[in-house]
Amino acid sequence: MKIKNISILPGYNKKKEKESKKKIEILEGQKIGIVGHTGSGKSQLLYDIEKLAYGETKTKRKIFINGEKPNKNLKTDPTIKIIGYLTQHMNFMTDTTVYDFLKTHIITRGKHNTKEETEKIIKKVIIEANKITGEKIKKETNLLILSGGQSRALMVADLAYISESPIILIDEIENAGIKIKQALNLLIQKGKIIFLVTHDPLLALDTDKRFVMKNGGISKVIHTSIKEKGIAHYLSWINDYILDIREEIREGKKINKLKLICTPTGEEK
Amino acid sequence: MKVIIFGGTPGSGKTSIIKFIIQELKNLKIHYVKFDVLNTDDDLLIKQKFGISTENKISGEACPDHYAALEIPKIIKEHKDKDLIIIETAGLCLRCSPYVNEGLAVNVLNILAGKPSGYGPLLTDADVIVVSKGDLISQAEREIFRSKILEVNKNALIIDGNGLTGEGAIDVAEKIKESQEVKNILTLKHSMPTGICGYCYGNKILDSEETLNRYNQGKELKSRIPNLNCGKCGFKSCNEFIRAVLDKKVEENKCPYIKNKE
Repeated sequence: MKIKNISILPGYNKKKEKESKKKIEILEGQKIGIVGHTGSGKSQLLYDIEKLAYGETKTKRKIFINGEKPNKNLKTDPTIKIIGYLTQHMNFMTDTTVYDFLKTHIITRGKHNTKEETEKIIKKVIIEANKITGEKIKKETNLLILSGGQSRALMVADLAYISESPIILIDEIENAGIKIKQALNLLIQKGKIIFLVTHDPLLALDTDKRFVMKNGGISKVIHTSIKEKGIAHYLSWINDYILDIREEIREGKKINKLKLICTPTGEEK
Repeated sequence: MKVIIFGGTPGSGKTSIIKFIIQELKNLKIHYVKFDVLNTDDDLLIKQKFGISTENKISGEACPDHYAALEIPKIIKEHKDKDLIIIETAGLCLRCSPYVNEGLAVNVLNILAGKPSGYGPLLTDADVIVVSKGDLISQAEREIFRSKILEVNKNALIIDGNGLTGEGAIDVAEKIKESQEVKNILTLKHSMPTGICGYCYGNKILDSEETLNRYNQGKELKSRIPNLNCGKCGFKSCNEFIRAVLDKKVEENKCPYIKNKE
């Protein structure tokens, strides 16, 4: 399903006040930050979007997809589920290899791919995951022994190439062990809309706009300035630099050169 | 009146999710019953929080699910004035789970607790399956789990639930509103496993001769009492009474209805 835009018809905050006067529009390919204190309503907003709420949740928000009320089977049928969710926890519990796991997921998604296509997608997912994590994932690795960074990288690549949900919700993803900006770019490239609960400046300042949550409602919408985006780039460069050094330490190298000049991220060093 | 039966292994989050569901249905007249084996205070906590009528039923020596099936008709009789009876089972047996044909059977299923194919009637006969603790694992794995549920129960509505945030409660409440009122005599969705042997009558010695003896004594005694579970002997069920008699803890004439040996 092609998603051109999402709109949020404002609901009510905990003080029963209307949270905003006008409809909030989000377009294809946009990244939206959601910020605010604990208990300010960030998770509830993600929940409303995930449920494609239509007035039945406690905020009474209504979510429209392409200007229309979403069809009921969009909520329930996992093979066409339009919302992908990256939660804080991305542990695995199945005792199986990366290869078998991805294969099962492709079958579950019910796309009836041919054997060759399936092999191609598995290969692609692993290659892309390895671009965003320092430690290489091999297809015969057992899922249960993946590190936090590897698990996150694998799930991002899975979301991009297997789930293919056009809307992605991200709940306070940790950036430890992954090149988080490249990870998000991987998703954005595929034209997805991303909602991101985060206080990590590197992510929050790299959005198109951010919702400031207060008392259970959206209290403000801030459009990210060019200056903020520049700061985000710089922070992202530092993050990647830390990741590189981390890998060198892991490999037993000595660290003796200090990089001071920041090059734009996303480009090959 | 509707009867909603919740089953699910201990720690799956049944009680927490039920609380959120009661919150959603607070304009109905609800009676909540908690079955357990040893003790529980869930009924008191729910009474305190929502001010609805609640009670607990402790099965003690009996199988909690068989006990529930014995008690449900009585509960319905006593609470004819309610809109909704929510019954939370002890959730110890995946095989016995006392789901009935009218109303709604809800299984709260802990996603971390094993493969859906290993569950049996608790899962396969449920009308609604609330998958809990899904927030602890990846979405990909949740999707795989869902397809494994569908392999063993195609008809259930599968809902992602969370006992901490209340996720899913709206959907279960919606389904409860749509569910059928109890009209006829209720029937179990599946027959419960038999449990009739010398051990059921309280034998503890692992010996087939002893067990057979105990079984015959128990069967003989059972044929002379009315099996009404009236409680006049001081025991909750006739079976418990039989065990106590055979253990020589009580005289058989404690039962006011007992017939003499032929």
